[in-house]
Amino acid sequence: MSGPLRRLGETPRHLLVCEKSHVRHERSRHAARVRSHAYNCCVSFLIPECGMLPEALKNIITNIGEYYLVKNLSLHELVTHEFINAFVKKGKLIISVDKDTYEELGLQGRPSQYSGKKVMRYIVTIDLTDSAFDLGSKKHKRVLWALKEKKPLEFDFLLSWHDTGAEGSTLMSYFSKNQIQPRQPKTTFSTLRNLQCPVLHSNELQGKLEESCSSQELFEWLGAVFNKVDLDNKSFSFLSTYCCPQPSTVVEQAYLCTITGFILPETIIQLLEQLCCYFDEPKLAQWVTLTVHGFADSPVSWRESEHGFQKGGENLYNFVVFRTLDYWLQMAVGANDDCPP
Amino acid sequence: MAVFADLNVPASPDRKSLQKLLEAAAHLGYSTVAINHVIDFKEKKQEIVKPVSPSELFPSLPIVQGKSKPIKIVTRLTLVVSDPSHCNVLRSTSTNIRLYDIIAVFPKTEKLFHAIDRGIYFEVLYTPAIRDSTMRRYTISNALSLMQICKGKNIILSSAAERPLELRGPYDVTNLGLLFGLSESDAKAAVSTNCRAVLLHGETRRTAFGVVYTKKPPRPDEEEGVLPVRKKAKTEA
Repeated sequence: MSGPLRRLGETPRHLLVCEKSHVRHERSRHAARVRSHAYNCCVSFLIPECGMLPEALKNIITNIGEYYLVKNLSLHELVTHEFINAFVKKGKLIISVDKDTYEELGLQGRPSQYSGKKVMRYIVTIDLTDSAFDLGSKKHKRVLWALKEKKPLEFDFLLSWHDTGAEGSTLMSYFSKNQIQPRQPKTTFSTLRNLQCPVLHSNELQGKLEESCSSQELFEWLGAVFNKVDLDNKSFSFLSTYCCPQPSTVVEQAYLCTITGFILPETIIQLLEQLCCYFDEPKLAQWVTLTVHGFADSPVSWRESEHGFQKGGENLYNFVVFRTLDYWLQMAVGANDDCPP
Repeated sequence: MAVFADLNVPASPDRKSLQKLLEAAAHLGYSTVAINHVIDFKEKKQEIVKPVSPSELFPSLPIVQGKSKPIKIVTRLTLVVSDPSHCNVLRSTSTNIRLYDIIAVFPKTEKLFHAIDRGIYFEVLYTPAIRDSTMRRYTISNALSLMQICKGKNIILSSAAERPLELRGPYDVTNLGLLFGLSESDAKAAVSTNCRAVLLHGETRRTAFGVVYTKKPPRPDEEEGVLPVRKKAKTEA
């Protein structure tokens, strides 16, 4: 029985892209990568050899803006020109629908890339700031009719908005009649004691035998730390035989902070910048990490790449920033996803 | 997200235990459940009774976890056939058969496999694998043989759970499908897409002969109704 059972030895399809650069390098794409991953639900950073949250980082965290929850908002409200002019400078509405809804909706779309023979999922993309979508145009009328009358779709939305301080209404005032509720991101802090950390060299992405660990080993180790998995393969543990990759050192303490909510890329860029400034003064730590998770059921991952959910909807990225301000960027996706940029 | 269904929940006269099963299924994330009535012709003459309407049995249906709609219940009839003459009842115009949403056939002999038409789905039950270790071996080896023949297409996985503890969540059943030799996407389809196709196929069997399905639109002045949409959905089921 080799045929079907051979598959059991394989893990589900997943991709991990690793790249390295320097934060202050003029062609470094770290900011662009962060900005193109719009839908973030969880941000964590880990600082080895640190027992207390640095003041600068604390300020950013306390000043993270709110995000908003609006229940039962009709989708057609997002394509009215009042909304577009107030909040959307340039953007597209991407709707991922199943087969029945697509046929009832009547809008032009394309089948999902991960359909196989029987297409069960369709993606409808509406460019909101295109000239073809101006007020009164045929396209606009059709979209409005489809979303308002043919198949009214109503969802609970999480909204977040980078307020540039310009004049105009805010999200709170615009959706005041929809019972918009502001939410604060939740933050948890913990100090990990006697943590085994892998030794890394910034220019050895693949690791070097007995000198440093590879970026993949770091990625797995970081996952184990976040999930509070034991790192030393104790003989009585039935749950895990995972060992910290070698070579490793034991640090007395490490600071782990996790923020959950709907977090904007701009906030992440500020956090990243402050983590780089952490090394302005001499520190024991060799590197720090910043990990960002996207929403599991988001229809897009980076930019407009389609993101599917097969058995898990992971789309995440991880920065490892070294003392020298060299960095590693790892981007990971799951089964039904395009390769990250 | 995909819509999951469990198309084999044995009917039992005990309404309370069935209610508990439904609550467990809704909690695990199943949007549709089929209550299965089994008729075995070998036993003394059994009548095909009219299925009790689910809305009479359960006035309030539990809400599916993760969605805001209540769980949907459909009716299913399984005929245990050991003789080709038993199949005649399928062609008869007994009105009671038409009242069931899904019809299933449990062939006891190999001859009957050949008598089966196109457009049907094969079902693999997983609770025997949970209950007993010998049954587990048989289930896995039979499932692997089935996969070799049909290449993983047209398979649905369902429980035949008599107690809430025997139900498993949709993603767990998907993983079990991997053990049965299905690929990742086939295994997920076995709990979602293929079940939807079975339900649609059942609908076409009941309504006029599967070519045209009209539905009276809610507004009297709408001429087209939902006819073109429905027709498209059926032929691809």
